Amino acid sequence: MAGSLLIRINVAIQRLELAIASVFTRRFPPDGFCLAGVDVQERLHQKPAFSLKDIVGDGFVWAVPTARRTIERRMKRRFGHPDYIWKMLKPKTNLRTCNVCGDDHLPGVLCPTCYKKVIEETKVMQDAIQQELQLSPVEKEVVVLYEGEKDGKPEEFFEGKRIVEIPKPRPAWFSKNLLQQTTQQPATTSDVKPSDLG
Amino acid sequence: MNQAEISKLVSQLRVRVNPRLRKLKSAGGPEARLDKLRKTVTALIKHERIELNYPRADESRMYAERLISDAIRYGDCHRETMEMADFWLIEKQLVHKLFKVLAPRFVNYSTAYTRMYTAPSVYPEVVKRAVLELRGNPYPSLVPDMHNNRNLIHNVLLDEAKKAYRTQKYEEIAAKIDAAEKSVSEEARK
Repeated sequence: MAGSLLIRINVAIQRLELAIASVFTRRFPPDGFCLAGVDVQERLHQKPAFSLKDIVGDGFVWAVPTARRTIERRMKRRFGHPDYIWKMLKPKTNLRTCNVCGDDHLPGVLCPTCYKKVIEETKVMQDAIQQELQLSPVEKEVVVLYEGEKDGKPEEFFEGKRIVEIPKPRPAWFSKNLLQQTTQQPATTSDVKPSDLG
Repeated sequence: MNQAEISKLVSQLRVRVNPRLRKLKSAGGPEARLDKLRKTVTALIKHERIELNYPRADESRMYAERLISDAIRYGDCHRETMEMADFWLIEKQLVHKLFKVLAPRFVNYSTAYTRMYTAPSVYPEVVKRAVLELRGNPYPSLVPDMHNNRNLIHNVLLDEAKKAYRTQKYEEIAAKIDAAEKSVSEEARK
């Protein structure tokens, strides 16, 4: 009886020594000594082996958005905020002034007021021309004359040209001289009187 | 080898030819695109000044210039050129106009036959508009006439040259008058 007791005490002490030793060697204690509810298997495989898939994954891309921009951020960027920088009314600083009428326009684009004036007159002229020509074959250049411009000229003046008359007075800004190639006769002498200059 | 000079087969166009074709959003494919361009070229030859959207204007300008250059180069007795004019000009009175009016008008031109400006598009219209016109049209000019602007350099130089010539001539006249007066007074003294 005493012998078995001694043996039992020896075994107990050995077991205790093993348990303490396992603590120092960082191995988990045997199942019996572990806490309930803690999965030992999971802990044992905490550090998986290194693989290239960690870096590559499904294919890597650089400098690319990873998340969708929210509508708040988008609107803040585009329109700003009245208390900070408000982007609703941005003035155009690259406007040019028309030398003829004084109105402003964007660079590289015709002045709107001058253009409107010219295009309205053009439409009147085009309507008159189409009314005159209709669908007959066009064989001569067309000359557009305003009120009172045909009477003063001889018949040979418009030789070889089709005349279209418009029954309204010529606009002040539409010069007549542009219709003719040149109004000046070729010079006969090279000596010019001072009064004939300019 | 007897290879033809490829750059001489077609007259040099004096506008920038875009190497890439514009599809022009035509429902019906390339045929519809050509129909659209055909209508535009016909309208340009008929009215000599049209307002339209910029891409279509830019595209049809190339075709109009090519048509006119071929009409000038080959004339109306050339079968291929006449077929081309028949295709491109829907209204047939304009075929007469192309060969009888426009070819003689542009035969001595060293510049392009058409002119294109960017037209203003008033808000809420934001699409870019253009005005396409033939040179030598009878309408008022879209750009202001700067020939008589006294502040431009050519006019500044010409004005100064005229002034210098005028003062020189006046001096000569004054010298002549002095000489004449002197001779008259000498005769009177005798």
